[in-house]
Formats: sequence, C-alpha cells, structure tokens
Amino acid sequence: MIKSIRPITNFVLLPAILLLTPVSVLASWTRSYVIEWNELAHYYGADTGVVEPGTDCPQGTNPEFNWVEVLINAGYTREEAQWLRNPANPTRSPVHGQNQMAFRGKDRANVYINPESYPDTGLIGVSGNIGEGINLDGNEDTGFVSPTGEAGIDNTFYKTLGCWKTYRGPERLSSGALQFNDGMRNGSWTMVIVVSGEGVDPMNDDNVMVGFYMSPDDMVKGGDGNVVEDYTFRIEPHKKYEGLFPARTENGIIVSTEPVTAMLRDPGYTRDLELQEAQIKLEMKPDGSLRGYVGGYRPWRPVYDGWVNARGPVIEALTWVELPSVYYALKKTADYPAAAAQSDRTHISYALRVEALPAFVVSPDASEVVKKVVSYKDQAPQLTEPSRGLFSRIQIVDGIVIDSRLEHRAGPDAIILPSSNP
Amino acid sequence: MKLSRKTVPLCALVLTLLFAATEFNPISAESRDQLEKTDQLTIAVRRLTESQYRHTIRDVFSPEVEINARFEPEQREGGLLAIGSAMLSLTSSGFEQYFALASSISDQVLGDELRESVMPCIPVAAIDHDCVRQFVSRFGELLFRRPLSAAELDARVATAETGASQAQDFYAGLKLALTSLLVAPEFLFRVETAELSTASAHEYRLNAYSMATRLSFLFWDTTPDKILLDAAASGALYAESGLQSQIARLSESPQMAEGIEAFFVDMMQIDGFENMVKDPAIYPKFNQLVSDSAREQMLLTINDLLITNGGDYRDIFTSNKTFINRALAAVYRVPYTSQEEWAAYEFPEDSERAGLITQIGPMSLWAHPGTSSPTRRGIKIHEIFMCEPTPDPPADVDFSLVQDSTKGTTRGRLLDHMENAGCSSCHGRSDPAGLALEHFDGLGQFRTLENGVFIDVSATLYDGSKFTGAQGLGEFLHDDPRIPSCLVRNVFSYGVAQLPRYEDRDYLQEQTELFANNGYRISTLFEEIASTAEFYHVRIPEGIKANSEVIATTP
Repeated sequence: MIKSIRPITNFVLLPAILLLTPVSVLASWTRSYVIEWNELAHYYGADTGVVEPGTDCPQGTNPEFNWVEVLINAGYTREEAQWLRNPANPTRSPVHGQNQMAFRGKDRANVYINPESYPDTGLIGVSGNIGEGINLDGNEDTGFVSPTGEAGIDNTFYKTLGCWKTYRGPERLSSGALQFNDGMRNGSWTMVIVVSGEGVDPMNDDNVMVGFYMSPDDMVKGGDGNVVEDYTFRIEPHKKYEGLFPARTENGIIVSTEPVTAMLRDPGYTRDLELQEAQIKLEMKPDGSLRGYVGGYRPWRPVYDGWVNARGPVIEALTWVELPSVYYALKKTADYPAAAAQSDRTHISYALRVEALPAFVVSPDASEVVKKVVSYKDQAPQLTEPSRGLFSRIQIVDGIVIDSRLEHRAGPDAIILPSSNP
Repeated sequence: MKLSRKTVPLCALVLTLLFAATEFNPISAESRDQLEKTDQLTIAVRRLTESQYRHTIRDVFSPEVEINARFEPEQREGGLLAIGSAMLSLTSSGFEQYFALASSISDQVLGDELRESVMPCIPVAAIDHDCVRQFVSRFGELLFRRPLSAAELDARVATAETGASQAQDFYAGLKLALTSLLVAPEFLFRVETAELSTASAHEYRLNAYSMATRLSFLFWDTTPDKILLDAAASGALYAESGLQSQIARLSESPQMAEGIEAFFVDMMQIDGFENMVKDPAIYPKFNQLVSDSAREQMLLTINDLLITNGGDYRDIFTSNKTFINRALAAVYRVPYTSQEEWAAYEFPEDSERAGLITQIGPMSLWAHPGTSSPTRRGIKIHEIFMCEPTPDPPADVDFSLVQDSTKGTTRGRLLDHMENAGCSSCHGRSDPAGLALEHFDGLGQFRTLENGVFIDVSATLYDGSKFTGAQGLGEFLHDDPRIPSCLVRNVFSYGVAQLPRYEDRDYLQEQTELFANNGYRISTLFEEIASTAEFYHVRIPEGIKANSEVIATTP
C-alpha cells in the first residue's frame, strides 16, 4: 500500500488546490473582455502609408523641422545651434545638448513649463469632416460625421492633433498607438471590461452596466504573436482606474444611457485618462469580440504635461513637433465646459478606440466569475503615491533629465560652445 | 562540441585511465568465445534515459546539482523507449556531451556549496589516499549500481592522486576521478549480468545487483539506493522474503510516483511534446506554455487518479477529474478560478470530455500541425492502449483528398479515402476510434462544426461494435479486455526492457487476471510483476553460446 506520494512537480501543492467549478447559471447575462488594443480614435483619411496627404490632413502630417533654424530663431547663434544639433557632438547628450532645447523661450525660459514664453509657431490640425468617436453633447450640428454617416461626433482632440505624425496613421499603425499598445500587451498593464444586463436578450437590453477595471494578470500571446482570447483575468480593485457606465444594448451595440465621470488607464504618457461626461459606444461583434469608443471631455493640461514629463526634448525630436505649439492648439480648441469663456475651458472632447477580446473575468480573489458590474474601489488599497510618469526611475524636472553628477548642465545661462567652457 | 585546449589533455587522461581500468565487457566476437570459460555473462546493456540520468544524479548527490545538457535521442521499439534503450549506443558527439556534463556535475558536487554535504571524509592533505578511496568506493558503487572492482577503484584513485599532485589540490584530483566515473560505460549504461547459480552449475540467474537495478528503475526510475545494494550484496534478494521486503519498501516510498510516472511517459509516448508544432494561423492559442502544460496535465491526472487515489487504471478513459492551469483553461474555454498555479478541475458532462485521452495533450499530440487526425488518433489508441500497432501506409497512397482541410469534414474526406480498397483494411480498424473524437480539433478544442458542417462522431468498429463520441469511446475502452492486458504486457516489457516472448503468453494472462482481481491498481501490478521469476528471467542474447541450458532462477 502506498502511504504517501510526493507530488510530481515541485510547484503543485495538492493540499492547497481548490476544486474549480464550472460557471454557474446567471440570472442575468454577463459578457467579459480584455482590452487588447486601445488608441486615440483618429480617423486616417489617406489610402496608404502613415504620412501621406489625405482628406483628414490635405498636406499630410505636420512637416519636419530644421532644428538648427528653430534654435537660431530662439536666439542661439548658428554656431551654438549647430553644436547643439550635431549628432557627433559628445555633449549632445540627454543631460546637456538635448536639454538645452528646453531653453528657447523669452530670456531663455524653459518653454515646456512656460510655453507662453515662446511664440505659437502653429500646429496644423485636421481639416476634414470625417471623424470617429461619440456625439457627446447630443448636437448633430457640431463636430464630425462618422465614417458610417453619424453626425455630431465630438472629438476636438483629434481635430487639434490628428495631423501630428505620432498620432496619425491607419488603425493600429500610428507610432504612438504601437508604442503604448506594445507595452500594454507585453505586460505593463491590463484592463478588462465586464458587461452585464438584466434583460433576457443581451443584444437588446435596456438595463445594462459596463465596467472597466484593472487586472493584475498579463495578456498572453499565441503562436501568431496576437493576444489570445478566453484567458482568465482577476479584477484588481483600484482607487483611480475604474469606469462604470449605465447603458443599453440595441442590436448588439452598447450605448450609454447617461454620462458619467470615469478614470481609465491611459494608453499614453499621461497614465490618468480622466473623462467628464464620459460615454461609451461599443459593439458586441458576432465573433465574440468588442469594439467601439469611450469618449468624454478630457482635461487637456495633464495631457500636455504628460508629453513634457516624458522628456520634452525627446518628444519634440522624435515626433517632430514643437510642444509650445501643442499647448497653444489645445488651449485654443478646448471645448468644455461649453458655457465657459475659451480661456477657462479646461477640457477637450476626446475619444478612445477600444478593441477587446472575449475573456473570463473573475473576482479579485479569483474565487468566482464576476456576475455583475459593481464598483471595487472600496476594496482597493490606498494609493501610496501619485501616478508618476513612465520614466519614474530617472529624475525629470521641468521636462528635462537632471543628472547631478555632471558639471555642465543645460539652463538659461549655460555655456554652449566648448571653447567657452572653463 | 569543440573541446578546449585545456579540456583535451584532461579528457585524454581520464579516458586513458578509464579504459585501462574498466571491466566493461561488450559482447564482441572475441568475448563470446570466452564466455564458456566464465561464470559471469553480460546479457543486456541499456543506455540510461534522460530521466533516469537526472534522477540518479539527484539521488546520489543532491537535488541542487543542475543538469544542463542535451541528451542523445532515444529510440522507441515495440512501443517503448525502454526496449529501445537496449539497442542504443553512444555517438562521439553524444559522448562529448556526457563528458562536458560529467565535468559540470563534478565541479558542482565538489564545489564549495555542496562539498561538505557530499564528502564522506575530510582530506588532511592534497593527497589523502584513504579519503579518495572512501569517496570513489562510495559513489562508484551508487553510480555503477554495484561495488567497483579493485582495478576500477585503483584506477580512479590513481587518477585523483595524479591530478591532486599536479594541481596541489585534493579536490581538483577528486573531480577527475568523479568525472571518470560519470563517463564510464558502467554508469551510462545499465549492464545486466547473469551468473551461474549456486544451486546448479548448469543454470544462470540474474546477478543480484542486476536484480536490484531492475527493481529500482522500475519502481523509482533511479539508481538503487544503499539499502537495495546491501540487499544485493548480502544475497537477500535471492531469498523470497528478502525480495518481498525490498519490493514492499520500494512500493511504499513516495518515490514510486516517479517510477510510475516514468512508465506512463514512456508508454503513452509523452516525450512527443518536445517536437510538437502547430500552425499558429489555425491554432493561435498554441504556444510553448500550452504544450508544456498539456504534458503536465496528463502527468498530474495519472498521478492523482492512479497513485494518490489508487484508482482503477481503466478509469483513465472515463474519469473527468483532472487539473488545469490558466493557459489550459483558455484552451478549454473555461474560467480559471484559482490563484494557485494549478487547480483541480472536473469537466462537466456537456464538455463531451471523457478521460485522459480527450485532454489537450493527446488530442494535440495525435493530430497534424493544422488539422485533427482521426487516423492518427485511432492508430495511437490501438498502439498505446491495446498493443496493436498499425503498419505504415504504402508509399504510393494519394493523400490529396484527405489533406484538403478547407472543405467538408475530416470524416467525409476519410470515408472517401477509404473507398480505396488498399487503404480500407487499416483505416477500417484505426479510424473509428479517432472519428469518435472529432469534436476536438487539432489542439483539443471542443467544436461541433468543421467548415460549417456538423461533425458526426458516431463510430462503428470492424467487429461491429458501435459507440458515439468521446464518451462512448471512453466507455468502450474502459470495458475492452485488451486495455488491461496491454498494460500488463507493457509494464513487464518496460521492466525487463524486452519484448515478451511467445512463452510468456500464459504468464501475462495470469498477471492480467491478477491485475483485474486487484482492482486494476497500477502499484499492485508493479509489485506483482516484480515478485515473479519471469521478471528476472535470464535470456542469453543471440549469438552467445552459454555453457549450459539457461534456466530462470526463482529468487
């Protein structure tokens, strides 16, 4: 008689194993998903490429700059400007040469934190009338017309920044979308969506709730490199990142029945995707996936600060934009609160395109499948520190990297040319 | 592997000493002529499998010894790698791998971290003759599975002392001696020896150390421990009581789980996962994690059902109790409601799963990279569980109709294929079992449609038996008398590493009946077979003239 048997593998603790039970029958229906892609809902009006002229941007993406001329226009001598932009120059490092790009404002002020110390050099926005998103204000006379003909689409964020090289391109192909979705799909963060209804027909139900939650579990890629469906994700209660949307379904399309305030995880530099008057429009596709938009009015200054804190000189150099012009453009086009004067409009209409795969979403302790959309914020631990930028491991102050070990640092009074250095 | 300048002279030294000392006696024409003059006969040489090697190193030295190497390919004969192991040699590149591995193991065993726990003595100088002898004697016996001869021992001691003298380091020399043990044929191969019985000068019996080795590798998949070797040395294994005492000890040990696992890995051809590929465009859920998990699921299921719970072997075809992890749950399309890495799970009735063979492992392993394969599944069920191998197809068969997976169902394509009279004789026997499993695609995912057409999972065997679907097949297999008789045959063949002879037929039938009477319990089957004389029967290899009629000696 065998009295005791050692487990086959060292990672299996049989006594600790829980007996799983199949999904229990639900009184109301529930569907759950994992967001496998989300990006700015920017309609691309060209037929090919990512920079070509199209109906959205007749001149193509915003042109690239001659940074030497930009610096000369900001008051640097040609010799200084060429020195700072010379790739072979050993001092053109993130802690000196690039950092000096910040100091091109009036009296060499830091343009990232004092953008109005620098003139508005202009950021060309979208001039086409086709746009994606949601009719947030219910007014069909304002905004874009959707690719399917729906009028009144409010997405001024797209109108303002849609020709910016980083954020322009066909679906899933803009460099901005690729950068952050790659990070998400490789485990930086996971968001899940739970949809539950009280009616008998999920496709047509007047009483639906949609919840967006964080999950501690990574997405998994299959042999073809794409995210695999049907994996199980736990909900991770989070004090900030959660969005609950009352909605209804009509022929499988989920639409908000009342706007809410939501905070989601931003697939961008800001991290906090705060939305006022937020709404959703999501379609439950026949293949089991979910696709559509989350829209609302987003505070524009944190978005601008996100780019600054991601190292302003790097953002400018890699994405071909002058950040002060972005600042001016957002400030001029902000459209919420609508009743406020333009200078007091703190938010801008915005839409995120969301694509999600069917997944199992379970309770935070993984003990059961989530059967109803509720808030988990009460279960969340207190946030120990404010959300920080992507580059929390290095010290970024006012948009530039500070390295206290270096003798020469960028600044309004920095000596640029080596012959002038002591 | 390219040997470094430092390695070459070391290798030469070790090899010179090794072969000068060895008593290894491969069956050559010359040695055959000598056999009539000896009372020791080498009757089988089996190369250690990878798992046997790993388990041995772990048990002899420490679980902390890391074994990072690619082992020589193994060969399956008669459905078992165990039988194939008796037909394997060692290639030169394979020996280089073993040599590099031996050096690595020696470095670890005698390195700073493990040395203290391994050494039987503390050296008092760079050259400490007594301490070297103690070490080589102790570990030589465990590795060779018998005491070292005086020549073998002296050679390793000389190697250690020469090395220690040159390096002025006791352990540098000892590492050379240990390496020479680890690359010796007597370690890398299980050398089975017969000897003239003390009862009769005309009878051969299996040497007691060879008996101990058979027992240990059957029950534990590892080298005999000191207790078993002592039982061999004392002659206790030749006595019924001594043998039974050791069998009881082996079977009551937790290590028996590894022995049974090793047997099923061999019998069920679970080693095939290492080479399994799937078309990612067709099965995007497949990745290495799924493959590894599917293999592990099979082992966990076997362990739980047959070892932990001592269940009826036939229940592997009907029991839906198993274990899953997050990756497998995704393929099975069920939620994973556990925070542990693995969790117990029972498939619900409507899953149509029925036992081990409907898990992802067999369903994906017995399929093509891009499609299911009723033929392959049927062939494997007959081969593995019924001991009924299927001959290879003729070379000129037109498979084009079967391989066009874009139209209709696999069943329809196969039925068309079977209209060829030359194909129907084999397919008529192999395919029905596989057709019943067609609700599982090439990755083992449940489906009811193929190319938009409903899949018929009814099956009619060549003997007229009918069943429907995986559950019908499971019940059929559960009650089929070929299932237990094949298992008995396989356990016996696995243990002796030989195909049964015609003369073993009655013996196997008796064991099958005993297996049934014991509730089809696998551990009891191991014990029963190990208790019989047939398990230790001496078969003289063809071409060797023994000096008498060979008679099996009952221990």
